[in-house]
Amino acid sequence: MSVLDLDHVFFLLIVNIGIAVLWGNRPFVGKILTLLYILEGLSILTSYHVLLSGAVLSSSLTFTVMQQTVQWQLGVSGGFFALITFMAAGLATWFSSGVWARSYAPIRLLHSYMALNVAAMLLLLASNDFLGLFIAWELVSLVSFLIIAINGGRSAKAAYSYILYAFLGAMAILLALIIIWNATNSFSYVEVRHHWSTMSVNRQLIVVLLLITGFGIKMAILPFHRWQAPAYAYVPAPVAAFLGAISSRMGLFALFIVLLQVVGIDVIQTLWLPFEIINMQTFLLWLAALTLIIPTFIALRQTDARLLLAWHGIGQGGFMLLGILSANALGTAGGIMHVFNHASYQAALFFAVFSVSYRTGTADLDRLGGLVTRMPISFTVMLVGIIGLAGLPPMNGFVSKWLIYKALLDEGMPLLFLAAVIGTLGTILSVYKLIHNTFLGQLRLEHENIKEVPWSMSIPMMILASIVFITGYFPGLLLESIAAMQSTLGISVVDYHLGGVNTGKGNLNMIVVVSTMLMAIGMGALIFFVLGNPRKQVTQWDNYAGGHFLTSDMRYQYSHNFYPGLMRVISPLYRNTIFWLESAIVSTVQFMAHISYALFMQANYLLYLILLVVISLLWVLAV
Amino acid sequence: MKDVIPIQTNNTETIAVSKNSKNIYQQAIDTFSNFCRARSLFVLHYCTGCGAIELPPAMTSRFDMERLGIQPMVTPRQADILLITGYVSIKTLKRVILTYEQMQGPKYVIGICSCTVNGGMYWQSYATAKVLSEYLPVDMYIAGCMPRPEAVLTGLQQLMKKIEKGEANSWENYFKRYDYYLGNQQHLFGDTWHTPTDILEEARHYHLYGAESTGNNTARLIKYTVEHDLTKLDAPLREKDSMTKRGKK
Repeated sequence: MSVLDLDHVFFLLIVNIGIAVLWGNRPFVGKILTLLYILEGLSILTSYHVLLSGAVLSSSLTFTVMQQTVQWQLGVSGGFFALITFMAAGLATWFSSGVWARSYAPIRLLHSYMALNVAAMLLLLASNDFLGLFIAWELVSLVSFLIIAINGGRSAKAAYSYILYAFLGAMAILLALIIIWNATNSFSYVEVRHHWSTMSVNRQLIVVLLLITGFGIKMAILPFHRWQAPAYAYVPAPVAAFLGAISSRMGLFALFIVLLQVVGIDVIQTLWLPFEIINMQTFLLWLAALTLIIPTFIALRQTDARLLLAWHGIGQGGFMLLGILSANALGTAGGIMHVFNHASYQAALFFAVFSVSYRTGTADLDRLGGLVTRMPISFTVMLVGIIGLAGLPPMNGFVSKWLIYKALLDEGMPLLFLAAVIGTLGTILSVYKLIHNTFLGQLRLEHENIKEVPWSMSIPMMILASIVFITGYFPGLLLESIAAMQSTLGISVVDYHLGGVNTGKGNLNMIVVVSTMLMAIGMGALIFFVLGNPRKQVTQWDNYAGGHFLTSDMRYQYSHNFYPGLMRVISPLYRNTIFWLESAIVSTVQFMAHISYALFMQANYLLYLILLVVISLLWVLAV
Repeated sequence: MKDVIPIQTNNTETIAVSKNSKNIYQQAIDTFSNFCRARSLFVLHYCTGCGAIELPPAMTSRFDMERLGIQPMVTPRQADILLITGYVSIKTLKRVILTYEQMQGPKYVIGICSCTVNGGMYWQSYATAKVLSEYLPVDMYIAGCMPRPEAVLTGLQQLMKKIEKGEANSWENYFKRYDYYLGNQQHLFGDTWHTPTDILEEARHYHLYGAESTGNNTARLIKYTVEHDLTKLDAPLREKDSMTKRGKK
């Protein structure tokens, strides 16, 4: 049936972990790991036609507990996400395989944690029932904690708050699973779906809310959005790209499976919140819209490029959820497509930002500027990436956002459409700030002599940038597997072709759009270059400042305090309430952890003796 | 100042552009581009002295120079006309020259008020540059103390006619006779005077490099730039101190 089955991939992943753990410090290991990730991606790609036809890749790995047989099967949805995972992990390892690794001491830890993450994610993507999903989910949470905490310091603190949230989420999922088990006596997706209506409406509501809390925490939907940005920002470059690209999409994948495959969008639509104020679908759509808008405008306020990108990762997650929950062929296609698109441009953007900070030693947007003449490749990659993130043609972000807008309008949700547009507006403003403060404007004196990053770092960036462009030019490449996914789940299927989609009311053909754009740009270039190229390069001090003579020690361009007018309007809205609450909880747990650590490490037998006596006295008194 | 550089005042003749060298197609394109150019003029107004107050009425609804296709521009790189609206002190003249050199050709200079013609009421001032056209090629003077907006508009219309006929070519003189202008500038500012713009290289870029582009004065400038190694693009960075001194002079 299949060219390769899932066992081969699992075997390769174990080899991967083994190599990383045993020889992670050797200089060549990064390249071998990159090759292995590419091999794993290719092994899924070679049997991808099988997945597209609706079949699955099975693994012989299985165990039985409580009469439930847990086994792993990779369907087309899992295969699509797995390909993104391997792309992100492979390119991130490539980025770290050359010169970069020499500047990073715990490289073995990084390679091992990355391999563990990929393996856990594949287990999650291939899970076929709630029990397998839960086990893999816990594994993913654990290894994510490890990889976030890798740098210590700020990132360890962020990892602490992540593990608290993840614990809360896991408890929520566990509770939901208990309720499901009591009602249906099964963990299999098919069985649960079959017996879903045996649960009372209140239980259905609670289960759906619990599952959304549990899985939503991973993708940082409101109000659980606080942990993610610091956790993803203060980690080493390849980790940030990997986490930003795919890690939090595991939550989206689980929600996608649970809401569309198990519960079904028709149930979501008929489920009403208490007092019948609002139905579940509308509630979730607005939650997604707020998850889009609020983190995006928080991103606009950031002055650290890494934090800015990490906040956008949360916002774009809201975009994906908005598409998936719209219950429309175009919307689900756009939501799933945005996962791939976001992974490609987010990884490219993180690479570009970390390239800059690798050379200049800072990612602070107030301390950069004018680097375009020094780092042209990073600039081009960032340009492509921000066009993708802002959702403008000809890059791939445009296609998925267009599909989501169209779906929201088709479903008669103009206010949600407006919310999506406001989110996109915030995105455009902040990505302009990002590229302007980093690459445009005045070059600082201390950056006069810096160079472009080495090829081992710039080639993965360029590969990602070309993926962003090619999938924007030919979105049909992605829509093929998305249509297969939709038909597997039994929801309405998008009518696609290589250049885009056909809808009843108007079509999108990116080949025409992008070709027209390229032709227009080409004609401009032809007029400019063939008819004389009247270009003259001047120094940046040959500049107009009201007639002043500029000198090199003079700052004539400031990139501090962007958009002050907008900030004056919106900054009263940021009150950091959730931040205070969260830091209080984190501090409490850290305090408790210190106490238990002290107790555990205490060699003083007397203390234990006293405790024992006190507890026995209490017991005696109680009896 | 060690040796005083004498001022020259023989800039009455313009070097004529021979139209015979152009074939009929080039002439047709020139005619068309001159027609268009005359109808889209961006003004950078370097407002010195009292003439500046006559520009707001010229720009706004009463006289409305935008109906002629003329509107203000904030940077020299995109501007066509440099408008000097009053007396030019020596300190200001440095800034005017810097701004003028940053403009792209074809560029036009208009001197408004009598002070730009001959110093006007500041004739006896030690700190005023009297005749503007000794330091920059001036296309048109609008004399008066001060000229009314009607006069400003009439002047602009005359400049438009000149441009349309292809006669407003005095900007080429700055490249063709750079030595003369530089000499007069050095007379005021001393022999270390230099700007970030390399005029001789630009003269070659515009194909306007001629016999009078170089001379004793440019030799003095070149000697200074070579001594201080200012020929590279990043020169201001390395010559921080000299730049600072020059900027503050």
